Amino acid sequence: MAGVFTVFQREIGSYFSSLYAYLIAFALLVIMGILFITDLDNAAGQRPPDPSVIPTFLSFAMIFFAPLLTMRLLAEEKREGTLELLLTAPASDTGIVVGKFLGAWTYYTLILAISFLYQLILMGIAQPDLARAIAAYIGIWLYGGACMSVGMVFSAITENQIVAAFLASAMLFLFWIGDRVGQVVTNIEVAQVLRELTLQGHFSTSFAYGLLHAEDVVYFAGIIVVMLFITVRLVESNRWR
Amino acid sequence: MHTDATPAMIEVKHLTKRYGTRVAVDNISFKANSGEIVGLLGPNGAGKTTTMRVLTGFMPPSAGSATIAGYDIMRESASARGQVGYLPERVPVYPDMTVHGYVAFWAKLRGVRNPRAQADVALEHVQLSDRRNTLVRNLSKGMRQRLGLAQALVHNPPVIILDEPTIGIDPQQVIEVRDAVRELGQDHTVLLSTHILSEAEQVCDRVIIINKGHIVAQGKPAELRRKLQPEMHLYVVLGGKKDRGEKLLRSIPGIEAVEAAGEGFNVRVKKGADIRTELIDQALHAGYTIQEMRPVMMTLENMFLDIIGREA
Repeated sequence: MAGVFTVFQREIGSYFSSLYAYLIAFALLVIMGILFITDLDNAAGQRPPDPSVIPTFLSFAMIFFAPLLTMRLLAEEKREGTLELLLTAPASDTGIVVGKFLGAWTYYTLILAISFLYQLILMGIAQPDLARAIAAYIGIWLYGGACMSVGMVFSAITENQIVAAFLASAMLFLFWIGDRVGQVVTNIEVAQVLRELTLQGHFSTSFAYGLLHAEDVVYFAGIIVVMLFITVRLVESNRWR
Repeated sequence: MHTDATPAMIEVKHLTKRYGTRVAVDNISFKANSGEIVGLLGPNGAGKTTTMRVLTGFMPPSAGSATIAGYDIMRESASARGQVGYLPERVPVYPDMTVHGYVAFWAKLRGVRNPRAQADVALEHVQLSDRRNTLVRNLSKGMRQRLGLAQALVHNPPVIILDEPTIGIDPQQVIEVRDAVRELGQDHTVLLSTHILSEAEQVCDRVIIINKGHIVAQGKPAELRRKLQPEMHLYVVLGGKKDRGEKLLRSIPGIEAVEAAGEGFNVRVKKGADIRTELIDQALHAGYTIQEMRPVMMTLENMFLDIIGREA
């Protein structure tokens, strides 16, 4: 995977030099801050604060925010023509794709890390269920990575970032709403299968409650691997057209 | 085929590239030796870009093979790609990077040992050092072109491939880029494409004319001119009479075509014939004065149109 680190470095650099990436982080952090305060306010004196309030919010928000973070990755390279140059450099296609994905995932990880500060603040004023919070954060970290890998696939199929973001959001929404569909299907086996396929099905009843199941980790990791594989093939297809 | 002491830096053998059923490049073969500047010349859609994209390892050929500095572009793709600096037609830029960061990125990606220092050397080479910390988005088109060049030579590759390096920039910058290319030719093998003949003539050691995916002619610019212009062209202006003497010119044996141009006529003379003395004699005899008579060099431009016209 030649070139992973160089591409990764550039990608991180470009997140930090783009106003737009800051705006996304800003929006996410503001909403998460408000949710945290509201929950704290509601909980005051009645119940312990909910440690997974932010991850649960993100499990919905990432449907829209992940594509916004990834839409640029390959669509822009294609539009600017830099993809042609990348593909003629002695770097492998896999290296380029993985480097970019890691860059995006790292940026998301930083946003998560900042929001985790809330839990640390909480330690000073209440007794938060830190173990559950950590599990929920691990869950939403993987969940976000999976969403971004889906976003990357759509970034690879078009030069238009808006189209990439919209299609990825639509796709993720299907993955997400599938959970609801599972709930209204009367055949229990079918419902179970449907639920196992969805993003929520591997988060809302496990990670969100502080449960770390190998199958859920494998599910998200699997999505990432499959989506990256598809992305590599799509990038490669530029050579054949 | 003569054998060279120096091995060819670029060797293309029976290269064919098809897009679906459309054949973009059809069975072309050529060589470029070390230190040579070779021009690929042809109209838009002739297959220049496709040829270059195959050579740079961007896309595989449908048939045939090519080597860059001895490495096969298919079997030893990564090594071959490492030997090439490439500037695509539209300069690919990351607008949000600084000039230096941009060049250093490509250096690093191509495994240059000291990328930041090498980037400075390359920027010096294309005279962009003073813009080192400018964002790429703020560069003019000509500067972007030079930035593209810096990117192509930062890893000091033996082979540099430039796709239409002077397209869309102003005349002063065109001169600068041409000078830069000529300078590169001193210690690199340069393959450049252009559809401007005078450019090929000025910059290249050897020109390969390509049309509809075929090589239609190749050689040194001067050789090509000789080979392709066997017949003489004259420009003649006659005076002294009311008519301009078209009839007379047409009556002289050895003149193939007469065509009015400006005050006088363009006269095409049959291959091998020299009718200048006879023309003067006859014109004077008929009472004309000769105001002007000079040989016309067929420009490569005309030659080119001539060749691709014959093709069509």
